[in-house]
Amino acid sequence: MAATEARIGSVLAAALLLPGIAIQAHAESAPEQGTVEVQALDYRDWQPGLQRIRVKAPSVYVLAPIGSRWSVEGSVVSDSVSGASPRHHTAVSGASRLSERRNAADATVKHYGAHEGWSLGAASSNEHDYRSRTVSGTYRWSTDDNNRTWDVGLGRSDDMIGSSNDPTLHARRLTWQATAGITQALSAADLVQWSLGANIGHGEYSDPYKFPDLRPGHRSQFTSLLRWNHDLGPLDAVARLGWRYYGDTFGVRANTFDAAWVQSFGDRLQLTPSVRYTTQRAARFYVDPVYSTSLGEPFPPGYDGQHAVSEDQRMSAFGALSAGLRVDVKLDARWHLDASFERYEQRGSWRLGGDGSPGLAPFSARWFQVGVACSF
Amino acid sequence: MQFDRVDRHLRLRFEAMASRNEVLATCADEARARAALVAACDEVRRIEAKYSRYRPDSVVSRINAAAGSAERVEVDAETASLLDFSARLFELSGGLFDITTGPLRRAWDFRRAREPDDADLARVLPLIGWAQVDWDGHGVRLTRPGMELDFGGIGKEYAADRAHAVLAQAGIAHGLVNLAGDLRATGPSEAGRPWTIGIQHPRITDATCASVQLARGALATSGDYERYFVTPDGRRCCHILHPRSGRPVTHWQSISVIQPSCVAAGALATIAMLLGADALSFLRDQGAAFLAVDQSGCLHRHDIDLPTS
Repeated sequence: MAATEARIGSVLAAALLLPGIAIQAHAESAPEQGTVEVQALDYRDWQPGLQRIRVKAPSVYVLAPIGSRWSVEGSVVSDSVSGASPRHHTAVSGASRLSERRNAADATVKHYGAHEGWSLGAASSNEHDYRSRTVSGTYRWSTDDNNRTWDVGLGRSDDMIGSSNDPTLHARRLTWQATAGITQALSAADLVQWSLGANIGHGEYSDPYKFPDLRPGHRSQFTSLLRWNHDLGPLDAVARLGWRYYGDTFGVRANTFDAAWVQSFGDRLQLTPSVRYTTQRAARFYVDPVYSTSLGEPFPPGYDGQHAVSEDQRMSAFGALSAGLRVDVKLDARWHLDASFERYEQRGSWRLGGDGSPGLAPFSARWFQVGVACSF
Repeated sequence: MQFDRVDRHLRLRFEAMASRNEVLATCADEARARAALVAACDEVRRIEAKYSRYRPDSVVSRINAAAGSAERVEVDAETASLLDFSARLFELSGGLFDITTGPLRRAWDFRRAREPDDADLARVLPLIGWAQVDWDGHGVRLTRPGMELDFGGIGKEYAADRAHAVLAQAGIAHGLVNLAGDLRATGPSEAGRPWTIGIQHPRITDATCASVQLARGALATSGDYERYFVTPDGRRCCHILHPRSGRPVTHWQSISVIQPSCVAAGALATIAMLLGADALSFLRDQGAAFLAVDQSGCLHRHDIDLPTS
């Protein structure tokens, strides 16, 4: 055999040095087809001895291209929520039953340029005791070869909080949201994305359905998300890995690691198993289920009605694992079906290091979602 | 140059580089698709004009005309990249891929089906060898009179990659560049469907010997059927000539290679044809998907997607 150099891809590597040959990532381009998707979500969560919340949410999503540079997309969802409202600790007593309907809608206009694009969006959500309005804008731009894309976004939310337990409650919460991210194609098979987010808000954060629950009037939240998608061409699969860091001024710190395997079987079937692990530190004012000897349950020791305090399980220290499976079936060029199932389990002792909040019952949840989409 | 439609694609057919070519695009905005296809065709013609050895004003003709002189011919950045690439291919292929084999054409006359004897070849073989090219990254000098550079082995594939880049820059998500069988896909055919590409049957004109699926990347084929003649004693002489012996390759009828870029696919296919029996292990070592047809007409394939239906 001639003395050829057998390093994998050495000829390709040499070819990529030619001008204009580098494997180009695709700029996000305007969709050429419109899509209508109808989805139904069924969510349930529970703790030992108590079915908590059940949500049934049918939704409709529409995406319509307008010419070659614009698209409009929007969705409406109507949730019916039944069950117990979020409770403090895990005591069964005091869990008021609720039956609720939430109506939400959002719309986004996007413009696609050759190497840049922007979008403007608005979203609204209404329940009888909660109303939220958000406007947001994003701008992104890419290098000439589209191998690197930057994006920035800014949003503003105005929430109104009421309570069916307290008709006089009309509290407000205002939040600025900012994001910045960079996406880099490292090779034809590897895409890496890093996004930073900050939410700065003030207003009412206490949960009106919990007592005692008194939280600070300001909350700043920061997130860092690192994603890596790797295309395993010969296996017809894509591996996705992600790490998300979350911190806020309540003192909560959380790290989430997720992994998914997108496996295609021909052109029509795709299976995506995924796993996720979250480990969280408790908020500074979260109190364990140990009660004041003078006031008794549910008051924590030293309760004075002035200092921040919460017994909300979501503010506790815990570890959580979830596993899911998504199935995508392409019936033909127009019709697409998807179904996904995810199961979530949360335990105090699953926190990394094992020193999660004590005395909390296990928390479980599951999602089931089916959708049918049609392009036109 | 003419437009027509193939399925849902707008197609532009044109002649360039002495062959029939086509570029296809699907786009909701037809005016944009037309403009992109014309720009892709213009890019192919620009490269043809710049590197054709048949045009006296081309860069290649200028370099060849100065063969044997003491001065280096200064070249622009694009030409420098192509020369660097050629030098690297020479090195990676153990000297098999050589853009200085042009003088062999003076010994081989495919139109008159004349096979040179050893004496004919001995006259031109000393003029062949990249090692005799004085290339410093900016200027190039062919050290002996009569030496020639020929970008024929990579020019068409490079043009396919560049035409693809033009389509991609214009925002075409579903496009295909086909320069006489050297192809580069700009995304899938439509809605995630790969392009189905027929591989020319090496022995039957107007027939294909296989179809492959190409969702992205490039496909290039090197075959012994493009230009050849058969000697009175029945040996087939094709235009792919070994740079050291000056004789045609005989091991494979054709080799098709899939790579992310067409210029890499084309170079690998050519090197594989020249390697003979070692071709398939070389292609596997390079991580390339391929379809090879041996002299008995048997197919050898690796990592190639055949159509599902």
